[in-house]
Amino acid sequence: MHLEVVNQVARPVEVTPIVVFHEVSKWYGNVIGINKLTLQIRAGVTGLLGPNGAGKSTLLQMATGQLRQSQGSVRVLNRQVWNNPALNRFIGLCPEQDAFYEWMTGWDFVHTCARLSGLRRGEARDAAKRTIESVGMTKNQGRAIRGYSKGMRQRIKMAQALVHNPEVLFLDEPLTGTDPLARRDLMDIIQRLAGEGKSVVVSSHVLHEVQSLTPNIVLLNHGRLVAEGHVRDIRNLIDKHPHHIVLVCDDYRKLAGRALAWDDVEGVRVLADQSALMVETRSPDDFYGRLPALSLEDGMAIKAVYSDDDNLEAVFKYLVNK
Amino acid sequence: MTSVSSQASIDQTSRENDAVAHRATRGSLVAALWTLYVLTLRQHLHGKRWMVMGLLFLLPAGLAVLMRVTSPDVPAPALEFFLVWIFIPQALLPLVALLYASGIIQDEQEEQTITYLLVRPIPKWALYLVKLLATFTTTVILTAIFTGLTFAAIYFGENAPPYGGQNLAGESIPLRSLKTIAIQALAVISYCSLFGLMSLVTKRILVVGILYIAVVEGVLANFPFGIRLVTVIYYSRLVAYRTLTFMVPTPGGGTMQDVAAEAWQLDVRADPGLLEHPQFGMCIKVLLTSSAVCAIVAAWICSRREFHFKTPEKD
Repeated sequence: MHLEVVNQVARPVEVTPIVVFHEVSKWYGNVIGINKLTLQIRAGVTGLLGPNGAGKSTLLQMATGQLRQSQGSVRVLNRQVWNNPALNRFIGLCPEQDAFYEWMTGWDFVHTCARLSGLRRGEARDAAKRTIESVGMTKNQGRAIRGYSKGMRQRIKMAQALVHNPEVLFLDEPLTGTDPLARRDLMDIIQRLAGEGKSVVVSSHVLHEVQSLTPNIVLLNHGRLVAEGHVRDIRNLIDKHPHHIVLVCDDYRKLAGRALAWDDVEGVRVLADQSALMVETRSPDDFYGRLPALSLEDGMAIKAVYSDDDNLEAVFKYLVNK
Repeated sequence: MTSVSSQASIDQTSRENDAVAHRATRGSLVAALWTLYVLTLRQHLHGKRWMVMGLLFLLPAGLAVLMRVTSPDVPAPALEFFLVWIFIPQALLPLVALLYASGIIQDEQEEQTITYLLVRPIPKWALYLVKLLATFTTTVILTAIFTGLTFAAIYFGENAPPYGGQNLAGESIPLRSLKTIAIQALAVISYCSLFGLMSLVTKRILVVGILYIAVVEGVLANFPFGIRLVTVIYYSRLVAYRTLTFMVPTPGGGTMQDVAAEAWQLDVRADPGLLEHPQFGMCIKVLLTSSAVCAIVAAWICSRREFHFKTPEKD
């Protein structure tokens, strides 16, 4: 059934596949992570979209050689991935987990990753300097990572993925939990990379994030390919469902007052235990668009923005049951 | 479907990339491995583990000082035997090896930093071996420093005859301490190799390791049965016994007693040359070979293993 759905959605212009999954399955004991997935990801930026547990991280971990497929074949840049460390010269991964060598400074971390990638001393120094600058962390590069904000941590994580100048980048939920300014900057970085000719695969469970980066979308659910193609086709489906966005902010009551005044906001629920608001809107683009300005001008200090995936789940149900 | 020309183009790109990678591989792999080695040493320094181990290792030196102050009649060789040849090898060496070697991979997994290593052009077997090498370095340095310190605490200021820079057997104390450090370094390397391997086959390495230390190395190795042939401590004791003397004056004075033969269940009366036991060279070979086998098997396991951990979405 899902193949029919896949065929309904317009395919992008034919370009060289960078990542090829052929009949790939992955089991964790009795639990299936990826189910007979056949997928070609082409050069450019591709958004990997799916709710939590859809198999996005599993797919990225297989594409970066951390996990071995139980069945089928995974190729990146036309090479087998599993147990092929030489391929890692050409790929970079920004993992989802917020884990670091906390005692290191940002500079030290990126420089060490450069050296681990095989760059010589001078090359590593130059690459670390250049990459840290490109993610806007030069000012904070001398501070210990343990003191970084979420946004800084995401930036420095991005820098380690870029430091060896890979051809293909895999970014696993790079925007999750970041503040609006960091989010905007990280999106700019990804778009700049695309402009430099890098191929980028970005996973997310928030359509809005992905569509700001690329029109090429791959939709996963329960380890299966649900749809792939142009964002407008998926967008049409998703806009039929209200979008829930959670904003974490100390002054959440004031923020609630502001949000309710906007026409596109259909409802606001206060999550006092999390110092947060859940906003319901049918125009997420407009809503997200206002956040950086709100954070800057009103001094609202929005600490984090994230979207639950109820709306995506609804779309997936729609797509799968259609 | 991919067109023929684009497939040819990607094949060409792959070949060019492979050629570049091949040229860069050897030198850059050495740089990557050296960085990994240094990174692991730095991780050892930044953890709280070395402070705990440092305190534990200070215990024998502290006990030596305490004994010398409170019981000056206890002969220094007896003190040395108890602290350096019973306490350190039976409790501290396996413990320090267990704490460091169990974390070679598990620490990186638990802290979820292993991803940063797995996405580098370093084979997984090399990743394990380099981290094991760094673990050898840390544990051997800890062993050397604190064993030397214990020797100093026991013998420092013992200028009156019959010591005067020598023990009762006329051995130079500095030379004896160096030999001791070498033997204990060999033992700690063997333990690290063993526990490193065990940490890849069980998730409860600390429990299993402590049980192993207590039961196999602590109890079974002290019985004169064949089972002790599979313990590290048996071979390191034999190396020590064949290299050093362990004669200590009896409490009444006058006679000398071979404390090691008695404590280690070496029947020197029936077999004065210990001909039924492995010779010095064989003991060294057994320890080194078993360490190498453990390291190779562990590296092989590593090369085939997926290091999967739950991402937040699966929690």
